[in-house]
Amino acid sequence: MLMENTLPILLSRLDFAWITSMHILWTPLTIGVSWILFGLEVAWLRSGDERWYRLERFFEKIFIVNFGAGVATGVTMEMAFGILYGPFSQAAGPFFGNILGFETITAFMYEAGFIGLMVFGWNKIGKGMHLFSTFNVALASSLSAYWILVANSWMQTPDGVVLKNGIFQVTNWWHAIFNANARWGFPHMWVATMVLGFFVLAAVSSWYILKNRHADLFLKMLKPAVLALLIVTPVQIWLGDSLGVDVAHSEPTSLAAMEGHYHTYLPDGKVNTGWHLIAIPNAKNDGNVFAITIPHVLSLLETHTLNGKVTGMDAFPAKDRPDVWVPFYAFRIMVAIGFFLFFMALWGTALIMRGKFTVSGLRQRPWFLRLMVFSGFLPYLAIWTGWWTREVGRQPWVVYGLMRTYEGTSHMGIGQEVIWFLGYITFELSVWAGAWYFFSKIIRKGPDLHSPLPGAHEEGEAPEAGGGLVTPHFAKPVLRQEP
Amino acid sequence: MLFDIGRIADTLTTWWWLLLSLIFLFYIGLDGADLGAGIFALFSRDEEERGAIMASMAGMWDGNETWLVVAGGVLFGAFPLVYGSAFNYLMIPLMLALWGVISRAVAFEFHVHATGSKRLWGRAFAFGSFLAPFGAGLALGATLQGFPMKVGPAMAAHAPGLFVNSPVPHYSGNALTFLTPFSFFTGIGAVIAAGLAGGLYLCARFEPGDEINVKAQKWTTLFSYIALAAIVVVVIWSYAIFPWAAAKWTGPHWWIWALWLAVVLFAAFKSMMAHSMQRDFIALLWGEGVVALLWFAMWATMFPYIVPNTWTIAQAANPADSIAVFTLFMTGFVPIMILYNWYQIWVFRGRYTKKASYLAH
Repeated sequence: MLMENTLPILLSRLDFAWITSMHILWTPLTIGVSWILFGLEVAWLRSGDERWYRLERFFEKIFIVNFGAGVATGVTMEMAFGILYGPFSQAAGPFFGNILGFETITAFMYEAGFIGLMVFGWNKIGKGMHLFSTFNVALASSLSAYWILVANSWMQTPDGVVLKNGIFQVTNWWHAIFNANARWGFPHMWVATMVLGFFVLAAVSSWYILKNRHADLFLKMLKPAVLALLIVTPVQIWLGDSLGVDVAHSEPTSLAAMEGHYHTYLPDGKVNTGWHLIAIPNAKNDGNVFAITIPHVLSLLETHTLNGKVTGMDAFPAKDRPDVWVPFYAFRIMVAIGFFLFFMALWGTALIMRGKFTVSGLRQRPWFLRLMVFSGFLPYLAIWTGWWTREVGRQPWVVYGLMRTYEGTSHMGIGQEVIWFLGYITFELSVWAGAWYFFSKIIRKGPDLHSPLPGAHEEGEAPEAGGGLVTPHFAKPVLRQEP
Repeated sequence: MLFDIGRIADTLTTWWWLLLSLIFLFYIGLDGADLGAGIFALFSRDEEERGAIMASMAGMWDGNETWLVVAGGVLFGAFPLVYGSAFNYLMIPLMLALWGVISRAVAFEFHVHATGSKRLWGRAFAFGSFLAPFGAGLALGATLQGFPMKVGPAMAAHAPGLFVNSPVPHYSGNALTFLTPFSFFTGIGAVIAAGLAGGLYLCARFEPGDEINVKAQKWTTLFSYIALAAIVVVVIWSYAIFPWAAAKWTGPHWWIWALWLAVVLFAAFKSMMAHSMQRDFIALLWGEGVVALLWFAMWATMFPYIVPNTWTIAQAANPADSIAVFTLFMTGFVPIMILYNWYQIWVFRGRYTKKASYLAH
């Protein structure tokens, strides 16, 4: 306990929290939007409606800036594992390193291989091949999320391993890969990327309608986005609930921290079923100084029964308990946002059903559009708070129940830690500022409505669907060149 | 025993060591040319020229660069004990390389959209292209020197309170242990090598007679002589300070090394001849051949170590079953990666002129 809370350890933790929080601003949007881009391209190719193409090219620009920022911060994170958590990287190598290796090979490289074709290949490869590239970018980025979530979930529920000779030896690969937390953790994260992608696109579209710029074009985007969100947001709430039930089983200290649930039983011996709306944990981390409590709700949430037992923090020694403040409030913010976003999807759908979903109808309801623009930022906050809940809830373990955080931290002096931290802060902030500068620039400029469509003047060369190899007509062969 | 799990694991581990070498070589060979073109751009006076150089690699630089991330992933996946300790040793050189790689990546994304800040991003691209090989070369030289590792109580004396329970050796030096005249020189050497590769690439990538092509021809001629001198210095210096290298080179198989050196010199000669006859693509291929030959020679010299005098391949590797799973799931992807990387480069092949605008894509 004593050596666990030294300043260098705390700095390492804060540093990594900063790095992850800044990285997670970019990648989820890339994942969600890549599928939407694929959908737009399919819609264009099937309907021949040029507007889908214009929308795709426009949102592709936002996607690229995001992708660049995601790669830059992601490579930094790959290094941060080795630098800040050297002993953890060594010990967890047999599983964690293996999975990250899977990720770079099957997902990261896969994505990089196709993204050049997708972005720069519009006039150089056939339509079929281009569609195939867009699909592969989307698939690869989701695969990437899958492997990362498998690795992170394994840190929450380290199944299938034993800690022997200082390293985690894998005893059962299936248990380790399909560990308890990954079952719900990955779908929850993946659907979050879809919620984010649709809301950001809906927010941008709403902004254009609000400003009455290209309003018809962006209405064409907003409508399917709202309908998709009507499906995606309730699914997300259900997935979140399922993950919560799972965490209650597999990681009771984390759930107890999320709910500020200190006592399994009340003083009179009955099961403590109270759910706290607001709570102020005391300094000794063994009870709440103040709380607004609703009986039975916690049991309903976590066991889906009225009086089910939910393990409290008092079942664990003080040195194994996480801090409560962050998980408790972060979790509540995430849930509140989830329900608000569901409400926005319902509101939009109601407008569609009543036939009010036209440019003039929406402009008479500026508050819907304004709140839609605002909702573009909320999923980011939900993803942040969700991730903080997850990571702080796991403490004081880096691998739950097996390896404590301080055991995995590299030994560095405070000066060194501070320099790294400042370096990462400067770096991430400049990426953030650069990205936002270009986002606003792209959005102010608006979609390009006039450039010729790809393949417009080369009908004879159009490839068959499914994507054959097309001879690029711009290139001169290099090998045959004679002096 | 034919199916002795230990022996199979040793074989698989060696196999991953070879694949790692190959993946690093892909990075050096492919991105080395991109980086070198960036170093060339460092000396460009006008932004249009830098823009044209960036445009010439627009569709494929990220694929090329990703081989480095793959190498990192394979190192973590197959040799985590090296991964977890080398980063602490190579913190500063890798940070320099990372800054370089990232400022390049960001510059590529932003240069297209920028209007007023185009110059800034052009500079970021060029300077990043210099920093990345310098940092990587520094890291390589430092790795050849090996680094201090301690275990259990010995480590605990160095870092009180931590590590006592773990039998895994941890890095026990400080942040500047990596820096020696030798590692500094390998940093410079990597910049020279990249500069040569970049020159060869630009000659092959731009139309003969184009302004950039003409400049790159002179640049390449100059750099090929500097590079030859640098190779000689590194070989002699390594011989002088690394007993493990000296023992191998003058050991019973000395004639293989001598032969190898002759082949290297032959390839270098062919590259220079092709270059002077302006057969640019052939010159580039021979130049890459020199890089590959030297790279494999270096790995062969280090065998059976993955980090000389610090980690042998067997000590650093994952337990047998992890290596087996990694092999089972991942080996098949290596040819696939090569295939679509190749396709990507093929799509974007062809010669450019300086006038080729970045926005035209």
